[in-house]
Amino acid sequence: MIKEIYRSVFRGDPVSTDKGKTELVFYNLWLHIHPAKVRKEHLKLHHTWYLGFIAFYLLVILCVTGVALMFYYHPHTTVAYKDMKDLTYVVFLGQFLRNMHRWAAHGMIIVVFLHLCRVFFTASYKTPRQFNWVIGVFLFLLTMGLSFTGYLLPWDQLAYWAITVGTNIASYVPIVGSEVRLLLLGGHIIGDQALLRFYVLHVLLLPGLLIALTMVHLWRVHKDGGLSRPLWKLDGGADATREIAMPAGQEKTYGLMQIITGKPIFEMLTPAEEADTVFSYPYAFYREGVAFLLTMASVMAISLFWNAPLEALANPAKTPNPAKAPWYFLGLQEVVSYSAIIGGVIVPALLVMALLAIPYIDRNPSRRLKDRRLIITAFTLLVIANIVLIIIGTYFRGEGWSWVWPWMDRAGGGH
Amino acid sequence: MDRRQFFTCSTSGMALLFITGATAVGALVRFLYPGVYDEPPQRLKIGYPGDFAFGPTFLAEEKIYVFRDDTKGFSAASAVCPHLGCTVQYVGNDRQFSCPCHGSVFDATGKALYGPASRPLEWLEVTLAKDGQLQVDGGRKVPDSYSLRVQASS
Ligand code: HEM
Ligand code: FES
Repeated sequence: MIKEIYRSVFRGDPVSTDKGKTELVFYNLWLHIHPAKVRKEHLKLHHTWYLGFIAFYLLVILCVTGVALMFYYHPHTTVAYKDMKDLTYVVFLGQFLRNMHRWAAHGMIIVVFLHLCRVFFTASYKTPRQFNWVIGVFLFLLTMGLSFTGYLLPWDQLAYWAITVGTNIASYVPIVGSEVRLLLLGGHIIGDQALLRFYVLHVLLLPGLLIALTMVHLWRVHKDGGLSRPLWKLDGGADATREIAMPAGQEKTYGLMQIITGKPIFEMLTPAEEADTVFSYPYAFYREGVAFLLTMASVMAISLFWNAPLEALANPAKTPNPAKAPWYFLGLQEVVSYSAIIGGVIVPALLVMALLAIPYIDRNPSRRLKDRRLIITAFTLLVIANIVLIIIGTYFRGEGWSWVWPWMDRAGGGH
Repeated sequence: MDRRQFFTCSTSGMALLFITGATAVGALVRFLYPGVYDEPPQRLKIGYPGDFAFGPTFLAEEKIYVFRDDTKGFSAASAVCPHLGCTVQYVGNDRQFSCPCHGSVFDATGKALYGPASRPLEWLEVTLAKDGQLQVDGGRKVPDSYSLRVQASS
């Protein structure tokens, strides 16, 4: 009986056979995003560092804990802060779930950024994966957008002033700026309308977009011929050029083999290469499972020991001194403290455009590090500059945004 | 259907599609503008002239500094920093406004001295309401020389 039920759910042969292992992947909506067999080199930690997967797992954790928080949260200025207090002090597991949501959100920004760096340094954005990189840039922006909209929801001082500064930056955008701010806030002040709009964006629109784009992103990884070959395999002849999809034939308008450019792994591999592959079940799934457990355990451990901050109730009359944006924007805030239009509009716009354009500007076919000195130096310098500015903003800025040494007695304190 | 018919059909079809789409997007954007703004009024009664001490008074709720000068009378400055909207503080000793967010400093007339703010603080019109109370209009900007002289009753 139990066996019968099991067979009705999982219809393939038993997984003890090779056919069964293939069918397990093919017949399953969730698993068939994987190929049935994967190259051993792709399972190696030091190619992907599993960062894409970890980003995905954090997204799952965020969705689950986020829905849990929604059971207790009202997006209204008179009660939002009280709801946070209730979560902290009276709701069973409330503080823990809030911590998980907050730390996973910070973690996701870091991990998505590291994933972007990994893809950059391994030159995996090159043909045929240019567009998946572009999708990735939008995933990164959506991740930031989610953090930003989530920041207002607790309705504490931190929230209120970070969003005041953040949305005022929008007004510096020429022509449309103040209209964008008006639409974002649903008014001229940060009040109930703004809280409601940020809430809708945070719990519905942005996550919906992020999930939809993530699905496209993962699908594209598969359709672009699987993951890129690791750099250490390039000298064995596996160069970027080898991965370009087959050109369409002349005599027939199309054939199935030309549509399926994703290189079905059985057909396109030489027997020698075939020997270098393993079944996704259990090898890939096992590793992904471990990555998930480690992600989950880390988020839970951090949430046990550190509480998500909650400051005093939002007070429009009193700006905390210093008033800092969320840490990942502190690099920009540092520039904003010299000029709002440069730090708030020009620099971010240029950075995003540069990121989007990388795969199309960089026409150098080689993926080897030594052939890409210029672009790697430029990218690395930008990353370091941003990190340095974030550190300065976090630890070296005190009252009135003046320079302080963190080891001196510090007034105000930062986040 | 001949070639010409086909092209007329498909062009008008596309045009129709485009118009419908553009209308829908326009309507959606229009929808996002609130019909009413549930916001406090810009023009506020702030109390009787005699209630104010000489020097600055900070009205926290309204984010307004009211100054009473024995010769010039009343004037009011918005405490909203023209850089990115933090609330500036008046430092009486220096006769300066300073902003906690990115360190902009303004002199007593509201002129930006240093920091990222490029515009001066805004001065707001102060008038006398019928009932004798002072009234500040956040929507009416005035030059920094503006002030209202009243025959103080106290
Ligand atoms: C929500 C955020 C994201 C999620 C959940 C995600 C997920 C993934 C996953 C699971 C993979 C498979 C392999 C791996 O672990 O590296 C992958 C690969 C890839 N990702 Fe992302 N990603 C995200 C953001 C980004 C960003 C910001 C970029 C770059 C701008 C990007 C560009 C790529 C590219 C080009 C590949 C193919 C890499 C290769 O073939 O070696 N992704 N992504
Ligand atoms: S908001 Fe006042 S200096 Fe930036």
